[in-house]
Amino acid sequence: MTNRSEGNRVSTAVQNAKVTADRGTQPDVVGSVPAASFSGVLLNRSRFRLGPLDLELPAGYVTAIVGPNGCGKSSTFRLLLDQARPDAGEIMMLGEAVGKGTDDTELKRRIGYVPEEDDKLDGRLRGTAKADFVRQWYPGWDRNEFERMLRQFEVDPSLRLGKMSKGMRRKYELALAMAHGPELLLLDEPSSGLDPLAWRTMVDELHRYMDGGSRTIVMATHIIDEVKRLADYIAIMDSGRIIGMYEKDELLGSWHTFYLSSPEGASPGDVASAAAAMPGIVRVEEAGGGTCRVVTSRAWEAEQWCRQQGYLISGQKALELDDILDDLIRQKR
Amino acid sequence: MRLPIHINEHSAEPLYHQIESQLRSLIMSGQLEENTLLPSNRELAQNLQCSLITIRRVYQDLEAEGLLRTKQGTGTFVAKVDVEAGARQRLEAVEAAVSAAVDAGASAGLGRAELESMLREELKRRKMT
Repeated sequence: MTNRSEGNRVSTAVQNAKVTADRGTQPDVVGSVPAASFSGVLLNRSRFRLGPLDLELPAGYVTAIVGPNGCGKSSTFRLLLDQARPDAGEIMMLGEAVGKGTDDTELKRRIGYVPEEDDKLDGRLRGTAKADFVRQWYPGWDRNEFERMLRQFEVDPSLRLGKMSKGMRRKYELALAMAHGPELLLLDEPSSGLDPLAWRTMVDELHRYMDGGSRTIVMATHIIDEVKRLADYIAIMDSGRIIGMYEKDELLGSWHTFYLSSPEGASPGDVASAAAAMPGIVRVEEAGGGTCRVVTSRAWEAEQWCRQQGYLISGQKALELDDILDDLIRQKR
Repeated sequence: MRLPIHINEHSAEPLYHQIESQLRSLIMSGQLEENTLLPSNRELAQNLQCSLITIRRVYQDLEAEGLLRTKQGTGTFVAKVDVEAGARQRLEAVEAAVSAAVDAGASAGLGRAELESMLREELKRRKMT
């Protein structure tokens, strides 16, 4: 998600911004074992440092991991899959410790994974051949379900993988990762290369997958609509760290822009300085025409505050997710 | 079943609150009859394009109020609601709030005229007729 430029913001950011959505930091899934968890995980590389990472991915829900390029999303997946070993900390997945050197065949059978980049080495294989190869490792492989998904996605499995378009290859890999009905589905930017129609089919298929019982999706994504349509929780990552875990509806519902008209005898400047006391205030700026534009992270309380203080709200709208991310990341850097 | 619930995305009212109050009035008004099977959590979440957590919260709150009941493995149903008792209860809550406001006014030394004009001002500010 893009970093917007500061633009012509007139007044200074008010930095008493308390992020209410922090209330959502602890998912309300008390008692249930998380699908995966990181505690004190540290990964040091010469050019990159991940962690300390403390994160619980709630079972039975869809969690979207979002953040700028290079923030550590894909490394997080590699750690879960034991493709990278942490320098410190504990990783648990589906109740088992990850990376202890024991045979993890059983554990891997319970998950499905779609990596960010499709494998280039199997380009000469036909789709049918790769599926025949892969299914040997999965006793729970459901041939009918796999073929149903390929039909839904309009994938021709008789093609060589290298000859498929990027979008078709992506859809093929999704069907391949889901055909054994995994308990946990790990998706690293699943929709890259998909056209809008295929994207909708994917969203429907992922909803269908979640209907299939106690299942969990963890997905890294840059697509805002994907987060909106699929996620229950949003984990925001920046520079190798989780800066917050939020309930999606709460996060999207609590950040609003208000336009405040000045009461008689007050200048927009007066309103701007008074608005510093508004609940959840993020920033204030004069917007011309005697109005002030105010961004708050606690919209409902802020609305009541305006009413009590006698400020007239002449317009308001919810912030888009990318704008919220931009502000949250800026606050925590 | 599609519930006639409409979400205003640009309202500052939290999503769970919007859904909860609309579902509550559908039940209290008798539009949803006793024993009606409501959509599953996932189904309603997809219909309203909100998260599962929000729907769980709505169903839990309304169950705690006695408006819904959940049968394990079967689903969520509308409970037996005494529509008149519900209306009476809400009216009593308003009367108690008004009475508390008069108490607060009295202890601040306000007279009848001032209290009346405050109520009128408040109604005017909220554009209630």
